[in-house]
Amino acid sequence: MPRFHVYWIFTKKAFLRSAVYRFDVWSRLGSNLIFLLMWGSIWTALYAGREEAGGISFQAMLTYIIVSQFLTGVNGAGTPLWEIQEKVRTGDIALELMRPFNIPLRYLFADFGSVAFYIVTALLPIYAMLFIFMDFTLPADVFTWVSFIAAAFIGFLIRYCIEMSFGLLSFFLVETGGIEDIFYFAMSLLSGSVIPLWFFPEWLAKVAAYLPFQGIYYIPNAIFIGEIAGGEILLSIGLQIFWLIICYFLLRLVWNRASHKVVVQGG
Amino acid sequence: MAAIKYVNLYFKLVSAGIRAQMQYRFAFIMRIIGLITAYTGTAVTMWVMLYQFQVLGSWNFFEMLFLYAVAILSWGFCVILFLHFRSLDTYILNGTFDRFLVRPINPFFHFMAMKFDMASFGQFIFSLIIFIWVSLELHIEWSSGKVLFLLASIIGGILIQGGMLVLISAIAFWTTKSQQFYWVVMYPARNLTNYPLVIYPKIVQWIAAFVVPFGFVNYFPAAVILEKGTPFFPESIGYFSPLVGLVFFIIAYCVWMLGLSRYKSTGS
Amino acid sequence: MPIIEVANVRKDFMIAKRETGMMGALKSLIKREYIKKEAVKDISFSINEGEIVGYIGPNGAGKSTTIKMLTGILVPSSGDVLVNGIVPYENRQENAKSIGVVFGQRSQLWWDLPTIESFELLKEIYQVSNQRYKKNMDTFTDILGLDEFLNTPVRQLSLGQRMRADIAASLLHDPPILFLDEPTIGLDVVAKEKMRTFIKEINHERKITVILTTHDMEDIEKLCERMILIDHGMKVYDGEIAMIKERFGKIRTLIVDLEESPRSIQLLGGEVCKEEGNRYWIKFNRDEVSASELIAQITKTHSVKDLTVEEPAIESIISRIYQEGYQPLKA
Ligand SMILES: Nc1ncnc2c1ncn2[C@@H]1O[C@H](COP(=O)(O)OP(=O)(O)O)[C@@H](O)[C@H]1O
Ligand SMILES: [Mg+2]
Repeated sequence: MPRFHVYWIFTKKAFLRSAVYRFDVWSRLGSNLIFLLMWGSIWTALYAGREEAGGISFQAMLTYIIVSQFLTGVNGAGTPLWEIQEKVRTGDIALELMRPFNIPLRYLFADFGSVAFYIVTALLPIYAMLFIFMDFTLPADVFTWVSFIAAAFIGFLIRYCIEMSFGLLSFFLVETGGIEDIFYFAMSLLSGSVIPLWFFPEWLAKVAAYLPFQGIYYIPNAIFIGEIAGGEILLSIGLQIFWLIICYFLLRLVWNRASHKVVVQGG
Repeated sequence: MAAIKYVNLYFKLVSAGIRAQMQYRFAFIMRIIGLITAYTGTAVTMWVMLYQFQVLGSWNFFEMLFLYAVAILSWGFCVILFLHFRSLDTYILNGTFDRFLVRPINPFFHFMAMKFDMASFGQFIFSLIIFIWVSLELHIEWSSGKVLFLLASIIGGILIQGGMLVLISAIAFWTTKSQQFYWVVMYPARNLTNYPLVIYPKIVQWIAAFVVPFGFVNYFPAAVILEKGTPFFPESIGYFSPLVGLVFFIIAYCVWMLGLSRYKSTGS
Repeated sequence: MPIIEVANVRKDFMIAKRETGMMGALKSLIKREYIKKEAVKDISFSINEGEIVGYIGPNGAGKSTTIKMLTGILVPSSGDVLVNGIVPYENRQENAKSIGVVFGQRSQLWWDLPTIESFELLKEIYQVSNQRYKKNMDTFTDILGLDEFLNTPVRQLSLGQRMRADIAASLLHDPPILFLDEPTIGLDVVAKEKMRTFIKEINHERKITVILTTHDMEDIEKLCERMILIDHGMKVYDGEIAMIKERFGKIRTLIVDLEESPRSIQLLGGEVCKEEGNRYWIKFNRDEVSASELIAQITKTHSVKDLTVEEPAIESIISRIYQEGYQPLKA
């Protein structure tokens, strides 16, 4: 049983450290908003004045994109892939193996800190304004809100496990260029972050349904706009938990291999 | 030093850069694979997007692919020549930039000739295949005039995007940061221009035409070749691409040199 | 005739202040304060052709900053710099032709390429004629033993090899002035010695003016007749080394290991300043008592296992000068 109060310290430290890199905060927010503008414009143009398409109202679709961009901001505020790779290459992570804590957990808790800072200082104010001043669909009942937040949180954990696993591959591969881009592609398309799964060609929707990525954006987004509702919500969250467990074991496997390699060959 | 000496020196320096890159052959191949994967990924996303909707602001899938391929082609050259400008901040912070100032040649030239990213040739394969495919699908007649126009626009695109990279790197002279500006300005801007400008709010289109002239990289020229309208802009605006590129690049160069005069080096 | 002239030069850097605590963290998101760091304050000196001058001082004293102003990398905040008749920062490229620079901390060579290729590229950059290139390469290969690693990529060189390659590279275009910023940092004894011999030789034979920064006193003692001592961006001393050693280097320390520890040691002209087990540190003034006299006194009353005499390190001389201040003897 990990002693969580130890990990809390990492959360607090990361929160404080985020302020030092204030430029990161502003720049991330800036590019997040540009992408919001881009996808908002794209979907506006795709709907081309229609009230609804494929059973989804224009308003719901725009809300989907906004929620998705918000979650992209949240997920992007943690330790990014390249930084994990960098830490592997410079031996930072190998050094930390000597410390008495679980390293993937330590980075997760540190991410909580920097993500919290980013949400409080940047994302929440901006997105709250968007929702106040523009006419978007908000979930009506508390249950939907709670399940959205739960689904978004589980999605965050799934992404963390996958991103960390990809990052740790640097222990085994000198150069991961191609693999990285597969990761980013899956992250943007198969997760439903920019195009909801229901607009996919049928075969691709099936492929996406059998992969964990939909748990990161598609499920929380769809819950938010009410596309996934009632009993389906629990089913979807159950599916997310299923994927979280699998991704967690994947991360453990990669991590064990990696630390084994460090111990045996010195990194 | 005479211009001819500079050309000669450029090839010497660049070939050294290439040989340095070739020391890491596996990385080189992985990078090519990575680039092609990333571009294919965007193309697939476009396809999925238009699977249900057919058109995006009156542009169909193949027209959008063409638009995309024009951008990728000039970006490919840009990566080869200028991409390393975005890491000027790293050069400054670890002190390696100092060396460019203690040598008897133009520091801009020296820095530019420092790297020559061969992996970008992967992009040419990608955009060439797309050009051929789209030309067949859309029955584009390639007269020599059109080919010439495309080439001129590509050069314009290289100068615009290269100029942008130079501008971004110059920020490092004032703030010791450039890589991040690349990710905040250049990366989203490039993504934005992968789609026809007409879909964006007018103010954005206006900025993309007259402030950060990315519209001249692919949208305006592609509209000319595909004979598509460019609402809010005169039809022939695409012909100005090379001129815009030249002016923009000269401005960028001047800003860079101005920044250089404020260079602060690094401590420790 | 002075080849380098520096008059009332200063250099300030603006550094962002770090806020602490939760509120400070949030505050610094909006507003950040800067503090002025005075790296070099009002330094003046002039150096004649053919001199070797040691520019010394503790870490952070402003040595590298001065070198960067002399090489044209940095623009001084105020004051005048003239190197070989050129204002370096106004005419960097012209200045570059008449100087060679080595930064001990970072190589100027092409990291991933065989060493020889860096030399060939520099030949092109500096427009060195084939004839001169060949002649210089032969000389340097001879003295510095470059041939043992010319085909090895720079990143695989040992620190000593890299430094030799760097210094040879800086001299390829026969500059009349050579700037060396910490040329011996991190080197082992043998490599340091090789470096010093080489520097001495090129100064002698080519009449190259050399300015080197270091915090290794031995570098200074073996190479320079003149040193400029700076601390906190200010010049503390400028003059002959012999003189400063004469004035501040008189206090030495004798370290003895005794067979057993006596209750106390009484010595004429010496004073125990530290003890650790059977080891004693005895301070003495060279003018009052010689080391051999002192040793004779000790061996008379105690059985000595081992002994050494320590000269004062530059650090302690500097700290003494700093504490007592340096008043020039002659006005
Ligand atoms: N580019 C810079 N930006 C900010 N501070 C600097 C910079 N260069 C040097 N400093 C500061 O100026 C002081 C003098 O530095 P330096 O000249 O490198 O000292 P030295 O070479 O004697 O060790 C140090 O406190 C250093 O931190
Ligand atoms: Mg220094």
